Amino acid sequence: MDSLEEPPSRVAALSLPSRIAVAVTLGAVAVAAAYHLAMVFLHVAPSNTLSKEHATAVNDYIYPEFEQNWKLFAPDPLQQNIHVQARAEVKSASGGTRTTGWVDLTGMDIAAMRHDPIPSHSQQNELRRAWSFYTDTHDNQEQPTAGDRSDLSRTYLLRIIERRFGPRLNGGQVVRVQARAATSPVPQPRWVSGGSVTSTSYRQLPWWIVDTPSTGQENAS
Amino acid sequence: MSTPGSHLAGGAHLPDRDVPPHATPAPDAAPDAGETVPSPFASLGAGLDRALSRGLRRVTASAVAPYQSAIVRIGFGLTWMLFLLREFPHRAELYGPNGPWGFDLAKRLLADNHAFTVLMWSDGRIWFELVYALAVVSAATLMLGWRTRTSALLFMVGVLSLQNRSIFVGDGGDNVIHLMAIYLAFTRCGQVWSLDRRFAARRAAARMEEPSDGTPRDADPVGIALWVVLGAALFAATAAGKLTTGWGIIFWLCWVGQAVWWAVRRYAPGEPRTLMTIMGDIVHNGAMLVIVAEVCLIYSTAGWYKIQGSRWEDGTALYYPLHLDDFTPWPALSHALAGNDVMVMLITYGTVIVQVAFPFTLFNRRVKNVLLVGMMIEHASIAIVLGLPFFSLAMIAADAVFLPTGFLRWAGQRIGRALRIAPVRSAVVVPGQRSPQAVETAGAGAVTEPSAGSAPPSTVT
Repeated sequence: MDSLEEPPSRVAALSLPSRIAVAVTLGAVAVAAAYHLAMVFLHVAPSNTLSKEHATAVNDYIYPEFEQNWKLFAPDPLQQNIHVQARAEVKSASGGTRTTGWVDLTGMDIAAMRHDPIPSHSQQNELRRAWSFYTDTHDNQEQPTAGDRSDLSRTYLLRIIERRFGPRLNGGQVVRVQARAATSPVPQPRWVSGGSVTSTSYRQLPWWIVDTPSTGQENAS
Repeated sequence: MSTPGSHLAGGAHLPDRDVPPHATPAPDAAPDAGETVPSPFASLGAGLDRALSRGLRRVTASAVAPYQSAIVRIGFGLTWMLFLLREFPHRAELYGPNGPWGFDLAKRLLADNHAFTVLMWSDGRIWFELVYALAVVSAATLMLGWRTRTSALLFMVGVLSLQNRSIFVGDGGDNVIHLMAIYLAFTRCGQVWSLDRRFAARRAAARMEEPSDGTPRDADPVGIALWVVLGAALFAATAAGKLTTGWGIIFWLCWVGQAVWWAVRRYAPGEPRTLMTIMGDIVHNGAMLVIVAEVCLIYSTAGWYKIQGSRWEDGTALYYPLHLDDFTPWPALSHALAGNDVMVMLITYGTVIVQVAFPFTLFNRRVKNVLLVGMMIEHASIAIVLGLPFFSLAMIAADAVFLPTGFLRWAGQRIGRALRIAPVRSAVVVPGQRSPQAVETAGAGAVTEPSAGSAPPSTVT
């Protein structure tokens, strides 16, 4: 017990009020660090007894600044390539409308990233995460499932597509756009037995009227 | 990094000068048949007491791990700065008021999640450019360790502002930077390898040369100017009602704290200064513990989720990312690697083993260092093969908190010589550090370094 009663050297030289201040600081920091780490643990660990019981407390503490997700390529890595494609309905000066062919927007991002040692977030994450935001907030009948967030995701995806097409395309004004996702499973490794299907499936969204004609100023490139 | 608890594990190997020898009874007495075998728990209570008091002394004695906190500071400052420079041509699309994630959309989402971002204070283009530029500058000054505490706070403001403005363009790397930007603001990460230390050494040398004639020194006009400018900015933001109560309190406390620290250094160098130093050190030590634990949590949960996956179980998981178009900037390289079945399995299993095991290897210095090298190599490979350079750099910067002090000092000296940076003279001591010896003890004794003996011979910088 004797070593406990001997205070640390630097603290020993202090007056009583200062030592109390040190003790209070130490206690506050210890409690804060322990509380923070406990909350982060409950947030990142798989859902469990404690995190379910204290879900509100954990979420109130973690969001928005300590949110984190370390399911990196886990539990299973994505095993399919999702390409977001889009086409536009273009109104020409004479008043006629034409529909363009499908443009592979993800494919254009991939082409831009090829052999680039430092790909940009605008190519690697923007469209990919906008699409997953959309699918997270819509069901398979394209009905919103998350209130305002559904609308945000829809508008966001629409604006990305608009921006890539630009306001004018093929000599006419872009009036509506339509998106679809082409999903192709990654073929199984050749050393894994069992045939793998490699057909592409499509999820087609409804036509959307362009959101703000003034936003996009770039051509589809 | 240095909690009372952590020393229960690693402390046994540390030379402990403070404890008299009689406090450590020899546990393995001669195995005489007739003698009573001493209880293995006999010394437990005393051991706990000792560990606890040593831990308390350690966390109040100094800011632990000066080199580790410096390398984390440099790593994250560099990563964020390089990222911002890389995205400079795309900055308006990613974070600007007229990007696809427009000001109106961000406003609606932020009204719901209440995240902090100064970018929502105005939808003007000039304000956006100013914030982006300040984010770059604060990352650079943090990396260089210029006005480290202020830089760290501004760095945090820059990171949170840009990332919270557009949360749908980030990835795991942004997430790590976000967390570490907050944690770093609580640390004394400029004790070594910083301009602050260099300038302090220069001032100390000047003080030694000309004896004091009564004129107060260290007036620090640049610091005062910076403080006034930031105070004016803070006042404007508060008056305009831009800050929430919580953030307002945090920033005003930091601002007042800087003034108090300046006044104490200048006018009350005795007990008030010691007290403030100790309190700052305690906060630093708590933040370092959180950083270390956060890295462990990242690895353990990343591994925890992987062991639930069937592809990680059958040893093919690595094959799939190597065929994902978004993560294959070098398809020929990726496909060649994915085509080697044994290699794919070894790396798949190795990744899971390393991630799950890493936190436990902290109890053994040698195993920890081997795994650390392995993880850094893996992250460097991810940077190239999967095209995730900033994620990898951020993870390497986080891993660096576990590097041994001996290695860091040796490498720092080598790099310093290569870059022809004059070493800071060891005779002078930075305020906040008690002596070079204290730094050495604090660094070498951190939990990552249970045995200081095998550190490479290092001359004091």
